[in-house]
Amino acid sequence: MGHKEDLFQNLDAAIPGLRRYARALCPGDGSAAADELVQAALERVATKIKAKTLGIGEDDAARLCAYASLTALAREKSGGSSVPRPCEREQIVAQGLANLPFVERASLLLVVLEGLSYDAAAGVVAVPREALVVQLMRARAALSSVDLRPPAPPMDGVRRAGAHLRVIK
Amino acid sequence: MPSDSVEEADLHALVDGEISAERRRKIEDHLLQHPEDAAQVENWRRQNAALRALYAPVAKETPPLSLRNAAHRNAAAGPAPIETGAIHWGRPSNSSRTVRRLDEVREARRKKAIISSLLTLLAGAVLAGAAVFAITHAGVSRGSVPQVTFAQGYVDRADVSYLTYVRDSKPIDIGADRMGDLIAALKLRVGFARAPDLSSVGLRLLGGRVAPGLLAPAGFLVYENDNGARVALYFERAEAGPAPRIAPRVDSSLTAIEWRGAGMAFVLIGPLGSEAMQISAERAAAEILAPALNEAPYP
Repeated sequence: MGHKEDLFQNLDAAIPGLRRYARALCPGDGSAAADELVQAALERVATKIKAKTLGIGEDDAARLCAYASLTALAREKSGGSSVPRPCEREQIVAQGLANLPFVERASLLLVVLEGLSYDAAAGVVAVPREALVVQLMRARAALSSVDLRPPAPPMDGVRRAGAHLRVIK
Repeated sequence: MPSDSVEEADLHALVDGEISAERRRKIEDHLLQHPEDAAQVENWRRQNAALRALYAPVAKETPPLSLRNAAHRNAAAGPAPIETGAIHWGRPSNSSRTVRRLDEVREARRKKAIISSLLTLLAGAVLAGAAVFAITHAGVSRGSVPQVTFAQGYVDRADVSYLTYVRDSKPIDIGADRMGDLIAALKLRVGFARAPDLSSVGLRLLGGRVAPGLLAPAGFLVYENDNGARVALYFERAEAGPAPRIAPRVDSSLTAIEWRGAGMAFVLIGPLGSEAMQISAERAAAEILAPALNEAPYP
């Protein structure tokens, strides 16, 4: 009983990270759709905990299971296609992510954004560790062509000044 | 490119912290000798930083209420809590659903909500129609039996005036010490200017006011006994009003006795018992029917 409660607490604690991962994994879908994914994943894991089908003995089991469920749901939602979706904020990084194939995107985010080890991330994506590293390499290579420098701040003051000031000699 | 002893995977592992300390030192030495690899590693680190900078704020947001306890629900636990007071068109909660199904479920719930709204509107219309029918046909269905409905009787109007004024800190507009002004006001507005003297039944006149009547302005006199109980005499011109109640109306707190006289409808209402109220009403009626005797104290 106590262990089950621990699993639930771990699951609760994983919610912020799951939301972040979902938002990045589905960059064009918006926050509401991402939260729905998280909720579906959480409920899937909760069902497993209550059915005692979740691996016991590993403290991070609930969290990793949630990431795996979320990844599977997102993959199902995308239909396995890698067709990029338009980005809601038109941000370069998000657009670069959206252009990646799903598994590459998931692998990169799990390792970089969520801090999962290669082994844990491979388990979540359901590929061998070596395959995960290959996905990482491809994702990084693809993103290398994207200019990740933050956009230059708009020179509002200059533009505005030029827009409404007139030279009167 | 990585040297023979350092693979590209090693460089990724360095960036991701998936490497032992000894191996790390070896790779860092390699990077010192291979600036192109060092630049690649630096590029990946910039990628990482850009990703984290973009999405880190999401993890600092307060999760929606639906997610906070979602981990403790399962498919049998029902839907997630509604988060706002807005119309809620449904929220997926079944853990076995796929995301594609979620969209279908939301659509189904939206349709269900629309149908529910329409049914509610229909039920409201039926109830409103029934109410209108009941109101407009109540008198017809009861035939020739005279009835005073709750909303139309002088007793009910007196009841409202009693509850409005007597329990107020200032139940009267004009005190008994200004009897002349009181009589003048009642005569001008109500058309009847008599204030029965009920001192013989233990009720002392405090004063009176003009109150809203059923069909016209009404007179409203307030009396008080030695125990502080207040009794009111309500009167209104009864030319077109309904027939009086035959029996006193007694509820949990007030007794009301209604009668007709001098073209007026009178209601004596107060918290006394039925017998005391009956005696007081008879006394008031007698005072009203004996103007010559009554007008002397209240000129």
